[in-house]
Amino acid sequence: MKTADILSAVVMLVLSGVVFLTTRDLPYWADFAPGSGFAPLWVAMTGGVLAIALLVGALRRQDNPPADWPDRTGWRRVLLTAAGLWAVIVLAPILGLMSTAVIFMLFLLLAVERRRLWPSLFTTAVTTALVYGVFSAWLGIAFPKGVIGI
Amino acid sequence: MIDALVSLGHGFGVALTPMNLLFIFIGVCLGQLIGALPGLGPSAGMALLLPITFGIPPATAIMMLAGIMYGGMYGGTLTSVLVNVPGEAASVMTAVDGHKLAKQGRAGAALSVSAIGSFLAGVAAVTALVFVTPPLAEFALSFSSPEYFLLAALGITATASIGAGSPIKAILMAVFGLMIALVGTDPILGSARLTFGITELLDGIDFLPVAIGIFGIAEVLASLERSYDSEPIKTRLRDMWLSAKDWTECRIAILRGGTLGFFIGLMPGAGPTVAAILAYVTEKRFSRHPERFGNGALDGVAAAESANNSAAHGALIPMLALGIPGSASTAVLLAALVLQGIRPGPTLLVEQADLVWGLIASMFIGNIILLILNLPLAPAFASLLRIPYEYLAPGILVISLVGAYATTLSLFSVGLTLFFGMVGYLMMKADLPRAPVVLAVVLAQLMETSLRQSLMLSEGSLSIFVQRPLSAILLLLVIGSLLLPVMSMLTRRRAERRMRDETPISIATK
Repeated sequence: MKTADILSAVVMLVLSGVVFLTTRDLPYWADFAPGSGFAPLWVAMTGGVLAIALLVGALRRQDNPPADWPDRTGWRRVLLTAAGLWAVIVLAPILGLMSTAVIFMLFLLLAVERRRLWPSLFTTAVTTALVYGVFSAWLGIAFPKGVIGI
Repeated sequence: MIDALVSLGHGFGVALTPMNLLFIFIGVCLGQLIGALPGLGPSAGMALLLPITFGIPPATAIMMLAGIMYGGMYGGTLTSVLVNVPGEAASVMTAVDGHKLAKQGRAGAALSVSAIGSFLAGVAAVTALVFVTPPLAEFALSFSSPEYFLLAALGITATASIGAGSPIKAILMAVFGLMIALVGTDPILGSARLTFGITELLDGIDFLPVAIGIFGIAEVLASLERSYDSEPIKTRLRDMWLSAKDWTECRIAILRGGTLGFFIGLMPGAGPTVAAILAYVTEKRFSRHPERFGNGALDGVAAAESANNSAAHGALIPMLALGIPGSASTAVLLAALVLQGIRPGPTLLVEQADLVWGLIASMFIGNIILLILNLPLAPAFASLLRIPYEYLAPGILVISLVGAYATTLSLFSVGLTLFFGMVGYLMMKADLPRAPVVLAVVLAQLMETSLRQSLMLSEGSLSIFVQRPLSAILLLLVIGSLLLPVMSMLTRRRAERRMRDETPISIATK
């Protein structure tokens, strides 16, 4: 957990720096009221101070309770799921959102979670019908259609 | 008081229409299921289903979402008692004793006392809501921009001082939420901030991708780390009866837990989880059999479950009367109001009387439905726990993606949702609280605009924040909420130092 705290503090320190650097040209004060640069400056300063406090606290801490990281199988499942999710965004304009979603569900159930074929097909069919029924038929949302027109 | 009762009667007229009744039923059933699913809390469920509410009238949508919120409190009990995995965070104390009771063959009694306790505490909290909300909203009508700025600030700082865990991390995550809210066009002067030349970011980052990502996707990813193929302990309808001894033992626990939960729910940043933990600890202190706690104490289960449900209802008071959410769930509810084009705040009670009173009445109805679902139908719901979570996870993820797309009809929103999903997952692993991020995103605009308006009124003088007694009190509360964690940290360090100093002396004396 000590490493996680150090990393969190560093990330927040960098983010605070980015907020400060990218908004430093905005006016801090405009007439009698704070300008566009007022809030970013204070947010960046508070973030920086708190990140340093977290960093110092983590470095000075003697005990180091273990972080709740997954085991190897857990990591494999999380990373493959995350990769699958990002692949949906890449493939949706080409194959269509609904088709990509169906492929993603089957990939997750059969390849990542190693579930049985028939229950996986049944789950995918029910979910697709539900999503299509609610979002497309009821709410009238037009999903991106791919080359096959679905 | 009579006015409140008349308005409540009108609210029942709104809530009892067939369409609203149907959506209350759908909401509480979904809440029950979401609460029972390990790894998916009510806030996540509400965020996931928020896009669906675009197709229904605002009052109906809010009744359904609120049903998910308090339904989740009931549902979490099932998994805690029968599987020993808290269905949602607020059921963590129930898992401690509830599962021990189930192993002793008393699962029915634990489920029964939880359902009755949740129902009584829920109904009492809604009754208090009926009488507390209108005067509070009326009082809040005198609020001006300095009070609004300080109230929003209190909503964020109190998360750190009252919530469990590290205060520094909580405030830091609130700052992260403020950074997210800064992205886009400045609300008063119209300058672009933190957009990095990306046109889609000019409109800012909407609440929905943040909430769906940080709660929904992150929780599903965390749940996929391990398999939940569990065999829940079986329970039968005839086991659900409580003996006279059980009832005598638990009735005061329900009263104490419910009262404590209600007041904790009112406080910004606390919420049902803190309420359940505090009620459990308090009950252990007052119990005649404290040794049973941790080994199957029915009164411990009763206190924790009553507290989490009354806290969920109590948290609605600041949201409805002031427009300030005190918890992640009420932040989602507030966002739902905004998405429906309704302006939250003290005028809500006057401008949207049908919605507010319909919502309050719906909570009486919803609690009755949940009592029925959790007493005679508990064994049927328990059998749903046999469906492996892995079959549900892909569906939840697809609903998250499609829901994110539906908000703006752009794949950019889906990308943002995924980004916040990954961020939320890493936050869970780094033990960083996620609720302050969402609260800050919701409250940021109110904070910035009311601060500007205040300083414009005072021509730049900060004295405007102490000129009126109310703003001075709020300022003291903000300062107090920041100092409280510092004071408790110093006290803890002093106690640790004293212990270290005393240890060698006691060894030497021996």
